[in-house]
Amino acid sequence: MKTIVLSAAVLAVAFAFTGCKLVKTGGDGTTAQVAADESGDDIRNAARIQKTYEPQLVPLIRSSAVDVATLKAAIGESLDAAGQKYGHRGAGEGGAWSFAIKGTGKVVSAALQSRAAHIDLDIDGDGTADVVIQIGPVVMGSALRDFAPFYSFTDFRDQIEFAKLGRALNAAAVKGLTRPTSDVTGKTVTFVGAVSLHSAGETLNVVPISIEIAP
Amino acid sequence: MTISRRLLVSVAVFGLTGTLAGFAAAADKIAIITPGHDNPFFKAEAVGAEAKAKELGYEAIVMVHNDDANKQNELFDSAIAAGVKAIVLDNAGADATVAAVKKAKDKGIPSFLIDREITASGIAISQIVSNNYQGAQLGAQEFVKLMGEKGPFAELVGKESDTNAGIRSKGYHDIIDQYPDLKMVAHQTANWSQPEAYKVMESMLQAHPEIKGVISGNDTMAMGARAALEAAGRGDVIVVGFDGSNDVRDSILKNGIKATVLQPAYAEAQIAVEQADKFLKTGKTGVAEKQLMDCVLINAANAKKLETFALAK
Repeated sequence: MKTIVLSAAVLAVAFAFTGCKLVKTGGDGTTAQVAADESGDDIRNAARIQKTYEPQLVPLIRSSAVDVATLKAAIGESLDAAGQKYGHRGAGEGGAWSFAIKGTGKVVSAALQSRAAHIDLDIDGDGTADVVIQIGPVVMGSALRDFAPFYSFTDFRDQIEFAKLGRALNAAAVKGLTRPTSDVTGKTVTFVGAVSLHSAGETLNVVPISIEIAP
Repeated sequence: MTISRRLLVSVAVFGLTGTLAGFAAAADKIAIITPGHDNPFFKAEAVGAEAKAKELGYEAIVMVHNDDANKQNELFDSAIAAGVKAIVLDNAGADATVAAVKKAKDKGIPSFLIDREITASGIAISQIVSNNYQGAQLGAQEFVKLMGEKGPFAELVGKESDTNAGIRSKGYHDIIDQYPDLKMVAHQTANWSQPEAYKVMESMLQAHPEIKGVISGNDTMAMGARAALEAAGRGDVIVVGFDGSNDVRDSILKNGIKATVLQPAYAEAQIAVEQADKFLKTGKTGVAEKQLMDCVLINAANAKKLETFALAK
């Protein structure tokens, strides 16, 4: 308790004198000066991820993930209604709806050699892909960032810093995945992740927080 | 000229309604301040905002700052003096604008920013920002596809002092650099300018005749590059732009430039006025201050639907 009070006091004093923004950079309570401009983005975002990814984002996505079939049916009726029921539009009214999504399906195709590797899953058993699971290292979109209500664009210096958080969250997600090393076509995969949609007809390009490949 | 005339008109209207006070209330005024209308993008913003303001029963005072922060500051003084209820602004500098917006705020006049953000939160009521990073990724994905994932290419970068130049370039590279067979052989600024892009493209072609593609930070530079390529008999080179201008739309429809990315300028300006209206009537907008507006890829498939920075449904 004393340490916390002390570091808060140090922080307040340092803030008052330098005008610099201080962030907690380690679990040991140390603080460091972080430049308010672009050069400080990565440090600030790393601190945000440490504070929120495992403790908040992963549990949020697990607890609010909707089955592929349920989500597809809801989107088929109305993307806006589905968004209001299950989704979040973190970047604002002019952005996509983001959803937490989960499912189990058979791999109909996979591109594992690509830098933007993906596994395509058939969920409903018709032999065609229903979802594309992006396993990186290059991951498109910002579904993880935009599903979470605790990342608000207003809290960021500019859209560069906000975009960097989106990329860093994607990187944190795919880093923890068990990546298949050989062809997985025909295998059964269970996943949990997030997906963003601008329109009802779009492919479900999922950013996974976990995948399990049945042996 | 238009500006001073409109100001005069509004002053006259104000004077007239002033004498009629007690019989009819004067329409509340909204100031709409953007860079110069010689760039059709900014004109579309002003036209969109003005149309929405009138529709909602406001009188619009339209002014331009030509990316000059001092001029912008004077326009804020004029707007405050004219008694506007709200200001809709595409600003003249992320840092320099903070003081002007704060000045209006201190006089009780809320500002609603469009297109570009400022470096402070909590001063403007809304900042509705084009998602340049998302848009650049869309443009880059299309470029990669058009190039068949390989070949030498050049990049034209916007004005280095403009945040959007940097973020678009970053969005491009975050995609393109993942393809090792796509090789950037030239990379230069042409300061958003069409004639400058023409010259830069000419010298790039001389140094690197092997170029197969050009990715450009905006549409005016893409137009300049395309003209230089055609003049050199290199109409085969793939060009992709950014903004969604009518010029590039027409080029796409003639199989010239291959793609661009639309920033929904018209819609963005209208949303800003709607939020201003809601704020004036209820004291809040109901949405977060900073909002991102996603961009849309424009290519031969949907170019016909594009008109003045708006895509028909």
